[in-house]
Amino acid sequence: MTAVSGWWDEFFWGSLVVVELFFVALMMTILFGLIGAGAKLSNNRIAKSIASGYTIVFRGTPEILVLLLFYFGSAIALTTIAQIFDPEVKFVDFPPFWAGSFAIALIIGSYATETFRGAFLGVDPGQIEAARALGVSSFKTFIYVRIPAMWRIALPPFGNHMLSLVKDTALVAIIGLEETLFVAEQAIAYTAKPFTMYIVVGAIYLGFSTIITLTVMGLERYANRHLEVAR
Amino acid sequence: MSFDIELILDSIPKMLMGIGLTFELLFLSLALGTVLGIFLLILRISGRWYLAAPTMVYIYIFRGTPILVQIFIIYYGLPQLEFVRDSIFWPILREPFGCAIVALSLNSGAYLSEIFRGGVLGVDRGLKEAAAALGISVRQRFIYITSPIAIRLCLPAYSNDTVSLMKSTALASTITLLDMMGIARTIVAETYAPYEVFISLMVIYLIITWVIQRTFAWIEKRMSRHVRREA
Amino acid sequence: MYEERHDMSKVDRELMIELENVDKFFGSFQALKGVNLTVGKGEKVVVCGPSGSGKSTLIRCINRLEQHNNGKIVVNGHELTDAVKDIDVVRREVGMVFQSFNLFPHLSVIDNLMLAPKLVRKTPKAENREIAMRLLERVKIPDQADKWPIQLSGGQQQRVAIARALCMNPKIILFDEPTSALDPEMISEVLDVMIDLAREGMTMICVSHEMGFARSVADNVVFMDEGEIVESGPPGTFFDNPKNDRTKLFLEQILTH
Repeated sequence: MTAVSGWWDEFFWGSLVVVELFFVALMMTILFGLIGAGAKLSNNRIAKSIASGYTIVFRGTPEILVLLLFYFGSAIALTTIAQIFDPEVKFVDFPPFWAGSFAIALIIGSYATETFRGAFLGVDPGQIEAARALGVSSFKTFIYVRIPAMWRIALPPFGNHMLSLVKDTALVAIIGLEETLFVAEQAIAYTAKPFTMYIVVGAIYLGFSTIITLTVMGLERYANRHLEVAR
Repeated sequence: MSFDIELILDSIPKMLMGIGLTFELLFLSLALGTVLGIFLLILRISGRWYLAAPTMVYIYIFRGTPILVQIFIIYYGLPQLEFVRDSIFWPILREPFGCAIVALSLNSGAYLSEIFRGGVLGVDRGLKEAAAALGISVRQRFIYITSPIAIRLCLPAYSNDTVSLMKSTALASTITLLDMMGIARTIVAETYAPYEVFISLMVIYLIITWVIQRTFAWIEKRMSRHVRREA
Repeated sequence: MYEERHDMSKVDRELMIELENVDKFFGSFQALKGVNLTVGKGEKVVVCGPSGSGKSTLIRCINRLEQHNNGKIVVNGHELTDAVKDIDVVRREVGMVFQSFNLFPHLSVIDNLMLAPKLVRKTPKAENREIAMRLLERVKIPDQADKWPIQLSGGQQQRVAIARALCMNPKIILFDEPTSALDPEMISEVLDVMIDLAREGMTMICVSHEMGFARSVADNVVFMDEGEIVESGPPGTFFDNPKNDRTKLFLEQILTH
């Protein structure tokens, strides 16, 4: 293990990048998921078909393919646009962090769309009726009654999406993001100990998975605290 | 950015040459993963802690770390260990194909065992009790009552997992294998045309996904004859 | 007179089931408290009582679907212990009919009946089928043999369940609220089968709310409350002259509707 000793610093910074990536992608995932679910639940035929297309495409395509498509695709798009302004430009690199988080968010967002849609449909309509009958406005009912109820149902499957999200961040190393796998590769070049280094990366991700799992368990218990008292 | 139809028509046959490898990876890993999954399930529900506990640890590790990292550990990492190089498995583990199969099988075995476990737990307790009350032994109960019902219950999740496994086969391209993804990446590297190549590849993967889902839907329909009420 | 015919203390009884001081705990909750009960050959016992009184737990301990914590249970000469061999032997001779029928959904009606004899007694196929068809006739639904359970009504399913238990040629049958999950119009078709069984001399323990059935068929009615047997006796004494206040209260509640 002494081979690793010089590298803890680097791994630490790499892990921070993973954390950043996770949260940025998570925000976008929730956004895409809510928009997708909204579109699928709406009465608008066009919105529904676009949302359906979205979920079909991103649930059926390998993540690495989506990632590469977005990274190279956006680089090309950016380069073309830049060349309009300055013909000298050869290649503009799209920051892998943003390409990666966007791509992952699109992928996990497609799963979240289905989860949120199911959760919205699972809300007891009686509760909604009761709130409206009491005179609570449509908007307030949505925020204070519908969303808390929906969240309770969505939480367990959404926890799984978050686990997938954190694991997918490893793929972003393929497009050059300097996170843990990248650090590992450097470490290997110096120490020629690939097994050790990749195990360290695995352990780091296992740590993240554990944190997420525990957090979700805690959130689930919090969301269902009103049910436990009934015993 | 032009949309080069010629390039698409040229690339598709090239990428389809990799489809054999993609399917090999998929079917072999699925078969091995299923066997492993059943084995792990039996250990898990054996009731003996010294069998169940290591199994749970195994599942936890393989579901908690990214599959890319698992592939790297097996392909890049294992050669570091002398006892691996000296073992009888070395011819398999030396080759990228062998490593990919090992990684994908070990990974999918972990996920599948949880899916099978879900199916087994979903079997109505009353049915198991009725069988027990008739004097049917534990082993016979598992074979004749629990398994048939559990298999039908698992099918949707098994179908999803097969799709996931198919998507994971694309990661084999990161360890030099020329499956469809691998070929696509080389074409893009030469032509700088990510949109045409990757989007057409996306379509191919979507078709495969559709085929997988239709197949399982058909199987599920056939297995559910006794669940639907006939007129 | 009921009392003379069914006076337990005078007749020489061949004991099929003996429970001696049986306790059962679920965690810290005590479901059975010092239960004593004997059932002789050919006797019909009806167990009644409010929800949660331990009636189901009691009969489930007899075929060891639940394991008792203290006391002794002897079934057909076998004492119930942790030895697995004993359990299967006992279960072959004790049949059980469940409230929710529990027919195997993936097997046809006739396959439901034939499964246990095939697996447990290794009965040859032709003989197995013949016995199964005979029993289906006995419960009056031979024409449903090749249907899936889900295609049958509740009353029919329960009759199939009784036939399934009978296929193993048990010496004792346990009934756990067999009619409680049935629509009212189907209750009598199941009770009729049970009455036939009783008349033919089967030893039966039945947890039920069907007091009419108890009155006409039972040799012994047992009232349980909070894990204890509060009172028991032949139906005549039990219904017309209950001794315990709790019994009286219970009878008042269920008989006035």
